[in-house]
Amino acid sequence: MVDTIYVEDEIIDTKKAQEIISKFRHAKVTSIKRFGEIFNLSNQNFRIQKTNPALILAKKQKGFVLDAPKGFGIGDQNNYYFSHMYNCLYDCSYCFLQGMYNSANYLVFVNFHDYQSEIEKTIKKHKEKKMTFFTGYDCDSLAMEPITNFINDFVPFFSRYKKVLFEIRTKSINNTVFRTHDPLANCIVAYSLMPEALAQILDKKAPSISARIKNMKYLANKGWRIGLRFDPLIYCSNWKAQYSELFANIFNEIKEENIHSVSLGSLRFPKSFFNKLLQYYPNSEELSFLRSNDKGIISYDQSIENEMNEYCRSELMKYSDARKFFSCG
Amino acid sequence: MIEKNLEGVSVRWVIALKGEAEEIIKNYAMKRVATTPFPVYKNKDFDMWLILSGIGQLNAVAATTYLYVKSDASYNTIWINFGIVGSRNFKVGELIQIDKITSSDFQDNYYPSPSAFKNNNIERCNLITVNKPEKLFENDGVYDMEAYGFFSFAKKIAPHELISVLKIISDIPGTDLSEIDKHSVEILVSKQIQLIEKVLKNLLSSQKIIFLQLKDPKYFDEICLQKKFTFSQKVTLRKYLTQWQARFPQRNPLEEIGQRMTASQILKKFSDNLMR
Repeated sequence: MVDTIYVEDEIIDTKKAQEIISKFRHAKVTSIKRFGEIFNLSNQNFRIQKTNPALILAKKQKGFVLDAPKGFGIGDQNNYYFSHMYNCLYDCSYCFLQGMYNSANYLVFVNFHDYQSEIEKTIKKHKEKKMTFFTGYDCDSLAMEPITNFINDFVPFFSRYKKVLFEIRTKSINNTVFRTHDPLANCIVAYSLMPEALAQILDKKAPSISARIKNMKYLANKGWRIGLRFDPLIYCSNWKAQYSELFANIFNEIKEENIHSVSLGSLRFPKSFFNKLLQYYPNSEELSFLRSNDKGIISYDQSIENEMNEYCRSELMKYSDARKFFSCG
Repeated sequence: MIEKNLEGVSVRWVIALKGEAEEIIKNYAMKRVATTPFPVYKNKDFDMWLILSGIGQLNAVAATTYLYVKSDASYNTIWINFGIVGSRNFKVGELIQIDKITSSDFQDNYYPSPSAFKNNNIERCNLITVNKPEKLFENDGVYDMEAYGFFSFAKKIAPHELISVLKIISDIPGTDLSEIDKHSVEILVSKQIQLIEKVLKNLLSSQKIIFLQLKDPKYFDEICLQKKFTFSQKVTLRKYLTQWQARFPQRNPLEEIGQRMTASQILKKFSDNLMR
């Protein structure tokens, strides 16, 4: 539980900030000028902060809506992402956030309206194009929903733009917010998945894969559209058997027609991120298969990547229409 | 107490006056090892040092810098500023952990990391560093004359998570400052020594995390002694040996190295094995 909250002076009296603060009655609240005074300073240590993360409430000043990386998407022409929060409740060993930041404190930008008006502007500017807005890349939005009410605010917002897709990427099995709203045809609840045995080692503090599948089934039966995200694909000694079992388990529970899209992604890091990860997890066998390529990116050997992609695609085709398949990155 | 010869333990105390430091010196069995320009104390069994900085921010910065150099403190060192303070919000004798440091002279604020506060139930509050003893206590929080200077330097040489500012309330509005003598301060500190140890215990567990992160992988030193590696080759070697340990815990990498192999050939050999 959070025992320290830092709040920017500028937003301390806003309704959203007060709403969040009220959920932590025993936390010590400290006022700050700007979140940069404490977030991601040099000489901070992500792993130590992760043992007792503080919550930082701040106002996002710019960069509300960003272009998704090239090659990333689920079929639309224009892809954007936005982050109302940095860092995550979970502690996944391969998470790029611990390579990107020195700080594990939860940073929440409370000016949701500013995000919405920027998204509106983007939609109006490109109204002739199909577009997707992604959330859940710098945090797990659904996992933090009891604190932020982010999805509760954004599902009604995106219900006004039926042609625009809104993807919520998550590992959380919190389904309260999806029970309080009618299913939205342009909203995809996209689950990050990997074989159960790997998740037990790597997805620390996150719900088990069987719990995620159970929740996907529940949401699908309620009418929500489901995304399957095998991103990153993790290499290990018996990966073929493990992934085959995972796919079978998923499609045993969820009807194909409830699946909006399936995407596959490779494990990749910039060199500096990877070096930090290796320091944090020196005994990780999963990280021992990664290599630096000639562009300074750390990934599996190209032959491993190709083999994994081809195998998983062909296995998935036993259950789902290949037109629903996409690559992440 | 700290166990003797605990691997990776490294602690530095920066304290203004002897009266404030006396109980810490006794508790951790430190002996004086220098007198000028600042009195310095040291434990003989493990890497713990203490410096008496004197009063004021300038002295605090100078003493912290001096101790950093004199004691050859590594990056993974715990730095604690400890001393007495005044406040209108607390009772005399209470131990306080500082979570925000401001200065009457400077705009920037500092925020000691909450990882040091975990589960110890010690009061927390903000601190204002001033240049003259405070009598009016117009603002909430505690007043001292060193912490801002101390923190401004300590944050450059150590991880934020290993820096702590701990204070004991010695005066409140109406206190006759002339009555605060060495003996009364020693009594205040002795009553809180157990809580001070609790804070140090939290810091030590954070230090252990960093120690393991910075530790070279097994066989790194032996291999570097055998062949001449450039700086960047050492970085690669460190990475390969870490991956080697995780992948082949039963295989000794030294056995892969032939007598005539160059540094680059050794790296290639490790890389090829790890590719499989």
